[in-house]
Amino acid sequence: MPAEPILLAFDTSAAHCAAALLRGSELLACRVEEMGKGQAERLMPMLEEGLRGVGLGWRDLSGIGVGIGPGNFTGIRISVAAARGLALSLGVPAVGVSSLEALAFNVPRPVQARIDARRGLAYVQDFTAEGAQPPELVEWAALEGHDGPVADTISPEVLIEAIARIAAERIASGADLPRPAPLYLRGADAAPPSDPPPVILD
Amino acid sequence: MSHTLTFLGLESSCDDTAAAVVRVEGDRAEILSSVVAGQTELHAAFGGVVPEIAARAHAEKLDLCVEEALAASGMTLTQLDGVAVTAGPGLIGGVISGVMCAKGIAAGAGLPLIGVNHLAGHALTPRLTDGLAFPYLMLLVSGGHCQFLLVRGPEDFSRLGGTIDDAPGEAFDKTAKLLGLPQPGGPAVEAEAKKGDPKAFRFPRPLLDRPGCDFSFSGLKTAILRARDEVVAEHGGLPRQIRSDLCAGFQAAVSDVLAEKSRRALAIYLAEEPATPAFAVAGGVAANSAIRAALETVSAEVGARFLAPPLRLCTDNAAMIAFAGIERYRLGARDDLALSARPRWPLDQSANPLLGSGKKGAKA
Repeated sequence: MPAEPILLAFDTSAAHCAAALLRGSELLACRVEEMGKGQAERLMPMLEEGLRGVGLGWRDLSGIGVGIGPGNFTGIRISVAAARGLALSLGVPAVGVSSLEALAFNVPRPVQARIDARRGLAYVQDFTAEGAQPPELVEWAALEGHDGPVADTISPEVLIEAIARIAAERIASGADLPRPAPLYLRGADAAPPSDPPPVILD
Repeated sequence: MSHTLTFLGLESSCDDTAAAVVRVEGDRAEILSSVVAGQTELHAAFGGVVPEIAARAHAEKLDLCVEEALAASGMTLTQLDGVAVTAGPGLIGGVISGVMCAKGIAAGAGLPLIGVNHLAGHALTPRLTDGLAFPYLMLLVSGGHCQFLLVRGPEDFSRLGGTIDDAPGEAFDKTAKLLGLPQPGGPAVEAEAKKGDPKAFRFPRPLLDRPGCDFSFSGLKTAILRARDEVVAEHGGLPRQIRSDLCAGFQAAVSDVLAEKSRRALAIYLAEEPATPAFAVAGGVAANSAIRAALETVSAEVGARFLAPPLRLCTDNAAMIAFAGIERYRLGARDDLALSARPRWPLDQSANPLLGSGKKGAKA
């Protein structure tokens, strides 16, 4: 019988470093460290310590799950870049899972997942029996009339376990998976230059 | 003894995503592959590099560039001796993406990780291309930097002077923008300048009247703006020939300032009586042939060997990062998975700051 796949998931899309390790469907370890900054320094040492704590190393991994946000742009990139680097060097698949998908994990459909996006806005995604609608950035005010069930609270521990389990399911499905990419749902806030160029005369 | 070291390098500190594989055997360095994916088109509409747009592109291009560089080099990760990555200075979103990708690669492949100062990468390039011996004088002149470095070792740099405001590459970009020329401004302004009269406009030569090797380029940009506005007011637009004259006058001013300050920096360097004097230039502005010729003349005047790496190694690339990583590694340097990305990181930590202060620290 082949060994059970070992999947490492991590997320730095908010003020934390969170990691979960699955062997098959068994949760081997889960670790969350709250931090407002310093995730880029802490993430990899924390993952290495976590693996070593259960007697494993990087090369025991057969898959990677990574939180792609939406959330803090830099935070999301920290984990996505690390996941892509690990996938490359280990030759294993890395799967991106959004926080909205994690919020709706194991919740009866229909459900609307919501995350505060600040500035009066929310990241929202509807999950129905038919499947998931595309995620959106909307004004909180526009959500007032919604009377269906809502999932909007999740601890980092539950979040990272959900990311791990969703990633494990996707890898097990054998589907062709795209490389993980950040889910921004928000533009880069770049404005074209205000001063127009001069008229050129021939 | 010829111990061979082969490193992967990653670079993502501005608007180029790059990966390269470099091998060093004794004193001989060989670039096995060097991949650079630019982002010019992503930033074109904004008249300059937008940090968030750059960071977004780097995060999704880095691993692809690494795969391409490995494939082109014919090497696999298991055949390498280490991973070097630009850990600063630069646009922090891109630097963090590069550092995290490199950590993932180093951890998974069980390879040592070396953080490299981007400026050291440029400053050590003459050793990658020509095996230049220490000490040599380096003028690093690009879109983000302008400084003279006395390079005594892979981690031993003394800054003799630098810009107190804009970098020349930035001045080229802003001039291009003011005159309705495309970005990046360097090649566009140079091409126009060839058709113009450098004496038609007389622009200031900032700080030439003061001793030392420091530069200032922001006033020059303002002078271009004023001259342009006068021309536009008089002609109701900017005639092409006058635009060429403006470009030629601007380029002559930059060239004169760089040449005179190089003369002074060379005097300081030669006072140390180096056995084989050498003056090297790196950075995108070194691609400008008029400026290059002016620097070469100054170098010849004092009998110093002049070196300008080929363009692809003058501008941002990862081969220089892999090479600088090998140089640091040979000195015993090792970083770990807690390696920090630093937006500011002066090469010469002892020199007084020219730019930036406060809690973020000196920029240069």
